[in-house]
Amino acid sequence: MFSFLKRKNQKDDRKIQEKNNQIQSNNRLPNLIEISLSKNLEVIKQKTGNSSDIVIRPLKIGHNSKIKIAILYVKGMVDNQSVNDFVIESIMNNQNLSEKLIPQDVLEVLTEDVVAVGGIKVVSDWEKLFTALMSGETITLIDGISKGICASTQGGQRRSVQESTTNVSIRGSKEAFNESIETNIAMVRRIINNTDLWVESINIGKMTKTEVSIMYINGIAKNGIIEEVRKRLKRINIDGILESGYIEQLIEDQTNTTFPTIHHTERPDSVAGNLLEGKIAIFVNGTPFVLLVPALFIDFFQSVEDYYERFDISTAIRFLRTVIFFISLVGPAIYIAATTFHQEMIPTELAIIIAAQRESVPFPAFIEALIMEITFEILREAGIRMPKAMGSTISIVGALVIGQAAIQAGIVSPAMVIIVSLTAIASFATPSYAVAISARLVRFIFMVSAATFGFYGVILVFILLIVHLCSLRSFGVPYMSPLAPFIREEAGDTIFRRPIWAYKKRPRLMSGQNRVSQGEDQKPQPPRTRIMKNTTNMEKGERNES
Amino acid sequence: MNHKWILLFFIMTSTVFISGCWSKKELNELALISAMAIDKNEEGKYVKTIQLVNPGNVAGGLQGGGSGQSPTVTVYTAMGDSVLEAHFHATSKISRRLYHGHANLIVISEELAREEGITDILDAFERDPEIRTTSRVVIAHHTKAGDLLKSLTAIDRIPAEKVNGTLQTTERARGESMKVTLQNVITTLTSAGKETVISGFSIKGDIEQGKKMENVQQSELDTTLESDGLAIFKEGKLIDWYQGDMSRGVVWILDKIQQTDVILDWEGQENILAYNVLRQKTKVSADTTNDLPVITVRVRAEGDIREVRSQIDLTDPYEILDIEKELEKEIKKQLENTVIRTQQNKSDIFGFGEVVHRSDPEKWKKMKDDWNDTYFPNLKVNVKVEAFIRRSGLRTNSYLSDMKQ
Amino acid sequence: MEKAKISAYQLFILIVLFELGSALLVPIAIEANQDAWLAILIGMAGGFCLYLVYHGLYSYYPDIPPTEYIQKIMGSFLGKILAFIYVLYFIYLSARVLRDFGEMLITAFYWETPLFILNTLMVLLVIYTIRKGIEVLVRTSELLFILIILLGISVLFLIVVSGIIQISNLEPVLEEGIKPVIKTTFTQTLYFPFGEVIIFAMIFPYLNRPKKVKRIGLLAIGFSGLVLASVIAINVSVLGVNNINRSPFPLLSTIQTIEVSGFLERLDVYYILITVIGVFFKMCVFFYASVVGTANLFKVKESARLSFPLGLAILILSITIASNYSEHIKEGLHVITLYLHLPLQVIIPSLLLLIAFIKNKKKKSKQSKNLFPKRKYRLVERDKK
Repeated sequence: MFSFLKRKNQKDDRKIQEKNNQIQSNNRLPNLIEISLSKNLEVIKQKTGNSSDIVIRPLKIGHNSKIKIAILYVKGMVDNQSVNDFVIESIMNNQNLSEKLIPQDVLEVLTEDVVAVGGIKVVSDWEKLFTALMSGETITLIDGISKGICASTQGGQRRSVQESTTNVSIRGSKEAFNESIETNIAMVRRIINNTDLWVESINIGKMTKTEVSIMYINGIAKNGIIEEVRKRLKRINIDGILESGYIEQLIEDQTNTTFPTIHHTERPDSVAGNLLEGKIAIFVNGTPFVLLVPALFIDFFQSVEDYYERFDISTAIRFLRTVIFFISLVGPAIYIAATTFHQEMIPTELAIIIAAQRESVPFPAFIEALIMEITFEILREAGIRMPKAMGSTISIVGALVIGQAAIQAGIVSPAMVIIVSLTAIASFATPSYAVAISARLVRFIFMVSAATFGFYGVILVFILLIVHLCSLRSFGVPYMSPLAPFIREEAGDTIFRRPIWAYKKRPRLMSGQNRVSQGEDQKPQPPRTRIMKNTTNMEKGERNES
Repeated sequence: MNHKWILLFFIMTSTVFISGCWSKKELNELALISAMAIDKNEEGKYVKTIQLVNPGNVAGGLQGGGSGQSPTVTVYTAMGDSVLEAHFHATSKISRRLYHGHANLIVISEELAREEGITDILDAFERDPEIRTTSRVVIAHHTKAGDLLKSLTAIDRIPAEKVNGTLQTTERARGESMKVTLQNVITTLTSAGKETVISGFSIKGDIEQGKKMENVQQSELDTTLESDGLAIFKEGKLIDWYQGDMSRGVVWILDKIQQTDVILDWEGQENILAYNVLRQKTKVSADTTNDLPVITVRVRAEGDIREVRSQIDLTDPYEILDIEKELEKEIKKQLENTVIRTQQNKSDIFGFGEVVHRSDPEKWKKMKDDWNDTYFPNLKVNVKVEAFIRRSGLRTNSYLSDMKQ
Repeated sequence: MEKAKISAYQLFILIVLFELGSALLVPIAIEANQDAWLAILIGMAGGFCLYLVYHGLYSYYPDIPPTEYIQKIMGSFLGKILAFIYVLYFIYLSARVLRDFGEMLITAFYWETPLFILNTLMVLLVIYTIRKGIEVLVRTSELLFILIILLGISVLFLIVVSGIIQISNLEPVLEEGIKPVIKTTFTQTLYFPFGEVIIFAMIFPYLNRPKKVKRIGLLAIGFSGLVLASVIAINVSVLGVNNINRSPFPLLSTIQTIEVSGFLERLDVYYILITVIGVFFKMCVFFYASVVGTANLFKVKESARLSFPLGLAILILSITIASNYSEHIKEGLHVITLYLHLPLQVIIPSLLLLIAFIKNKKKKSKQSKNLFPKRKYRLVERDKK
């Protein structure tokens, strides 16, 4: 319905992009393609530094093979088969072509008749030609015409669609995004078969010209937020975008925080689910991680799987995750506070056990915890960077160092080891790595406060943390919503996960006017009457005991 | 602007680091006190005994099995003119900071309680934020309070735990002693309508032997700690000891019985029926229409028959009713005995005064001042008991009824 | 005035946390002995009336804070002086709350730590929050309110389970008649904590739906009154009147009495949590009102800039306010109720309302001839309906 608007938007984008490009390239490139083929080839060679991976294949076609053309492509960026079969071969074998006399005709026939590839466009300026060439298209230049034909033959070796490694789930689609933006967008489109799923693309990065696309569902996403995303993306003017993390850091609302205000995921179903809630996805070419904005704090504790399991189970799991997050935040801090300030709060027997364990430990509890935490962080970091084959070495060394030797040497107490390893495991059990990693940083603040002021310090830092979280916004949406500000109809999808049939409306702060997400009466109702109950396929006597 | 913030940050962090750690105390730098005892010596000074836990010997295991060879607790004593002074003197003997957070037991000697009363010594305990008001208070019976802490115990490694555990078990299983916390003691001391009752504890066996590790290295301990009756106070001074059924009567009227047993005579045969009370509810009410209030104690007990040594037909409901009647009589007799003895002692440990206070505040104001001496001993106390036998265990009649005579 | 909007629900939570803040801390209404809960409930009824007075003033001037409308009602000079007195009053109250809290921490947990340090930390946190603005404050309150509710329920559960409640301690009801209860109400509970809602007059202008202010405010006062009354009733029933009279922090003593199955005992940390959160919000509201009031009075554009100097003032005031705890409590519960609370919470607002009423009546009679009344007039009209 609004698709004409969208096209206009895209055009606008493109215009601005072109303008930018023109400004950048004015002084270096002749703007337009020349008529002479040899000159054009010269320009290309000079511009690319005669790079060895650029293939230039001269051909002679037309009547008596009088017309010189050249086919150019970048090795590895193109799909060899389509270049050979549908471009080169069809040009060489085409009957029509061999009768043509003038280059103008050749151009027409080539574009309309010969090249058997889907995307064909004719460009007349260098900038576009190079962008096309570098992104894997095959260029045909004809002597005597100041235009180039670009055939989209992108291809080459990419990682195939594989299972997600970072967002693993037991139930649900196993597909994960890969590095190709086209594949990624298509994967989402395959889930949401709707014309209202709109995609806008721009190229970002002065040098890399990385393709970045924003995707949203027209009518669900809030226009203001879409506009804000566009604005922030256009602001970016840096050399290169190598991963979506670059974009993330350049468009987030506040930088003075350890908490992520932009969500990222590797799973198409997660993207689709978030789009349906009115969020906006940002795809970046070359990375499987798709950004989702606006992100709420609670989003980082949810996984798509929550919606695939039944609500009671998901709710229980979400509760568990909240507990886990708390443990990973304040676990060691509470231990430190309890053993150095508030010993009376530990049950007597436990206090005696801990005291006995600490008899030979030469450090204060805080230092002990710090040693253990840092040891653990070292092991963890080493474990990530090590080649996989060495992984088991790390765990053996880790287990021996932490678990056995340190205790036997009397440097740390067993209770502390329990606490630290529990915290460590808890920090891995948080669904989002982004938030787990911030929890790890905040944990140290908690530890320091616990070591200086006991529970009072811990509680103060806790309040500070909550004030800080409440002050954050992600693309204008309060970070802690729908808990603070409390929105009753949406609070059911936070720590709780209400049944699917209870999701009557889309989130208020993120979606546009149309907020009704499902029909009335979605709650499944078993047939009431007895007759209905018995209309199963059961044969007579099947219910009898055998 | 930025520099200012950095400066401010440094000032703040430095204050935090310089300032923190005042209240900090590492667990292994503390001397965990498990129990305290107060005596008075011949010179009239308070003697404070503190029992410290040796965590390594209690927890055992990891640090090379130190347990077994050395005692789980160490006891220190110190003297002073006040409780707190004695405490401060004790610090000169101990390398670690004394820590009361886990002191769960306060023992007061019988002598001190009898002669001087407990009123003067408890303030120091109540005021200290480290000491819990839920700490148990016991009176050392027939012995010095300090000696009670010196004896080592088996099973429960820490003697204080053993004392508390025993109190709890006897309260639950028999109802002859009561868990009395510091707060309870102080509440009853300050209340005009209720006097103090504290459980007693005593040492059986040789005191010197009890201090040695050998004591706990045998199957039958030479020296043991035992729960021993209830100490009855009047205005903060110990005046009487109740034992056995007498002390259970007190616990019963205070509605603290959880489980107990009543032994019955039946048809002339002595002690042949054992009845186990599983649930009971005791209500005390006062009728203040006359000048002297009338107190009614209503007991409702439910339970099982647990032992029969005669040929009673337990399948007969009428027989059961008869036994119930007999039971009611027995319980009533016991409770009345307790009340009579207490009235003779002129100390309202049952809190009848408070009941009167609640039901008729105006009259209570007049009686308040000489409640214990004038009104309480002359009170008419009605005891009404309802006892129910619900079950009789896994057998109906005893095998005795099938045996050939 | 910053540009912020808070919802009715957020106001509710803020009022509840504010009311409970330090009232859970110090022993209130103990003069009424076992009828303390009754004194609270009667105080709550009085609180309703006071709230209606404050709301009445607000309905005349829905867009501006009291520091401004006082000037409109009393004239510029007198109004400025009065507004200044109110700002000082807010600062003083905020310092009192801080002191209450610091005293509690020191007495019960950190007896070796200087008061200054404990108070400094709290003030820093409050300053940080206020610099973030009122919206962040109310959002924080929404989150922590959930925590408080959970804590409250679990403490209540533990108290009930551990069987330490003795209802008989609450009897006899009205032993000395209703007189001491009424006296306690009018010398204490009416002003602290209920009359203190006057501070919310500074926050009313931020409400996004002014119509709801009245109902929500009354609900919040009612809710907090009930909670407070039941907490005090529980305190009395657990500890008994004698012990309550001797405890500087009754709720702490109650929580310390909890013993469930030998494991769940010594739950002091619950108490620290509840009081730190409560006091934090009470401080924040007082402090915010002081900052906004000062900024409004002295035409400071960026009110956040005032937070550091005012925070420092409150910190120093909280330490110098009294030389010991007895003095502090005596002042708080007996002296300032009569000499500060009574005039500033009851008398002056009532007078202001009266004058505002007369002034508006005059205006109304003038404007009734006018065919197109001004906007403000219409607002008044709407609220009256």
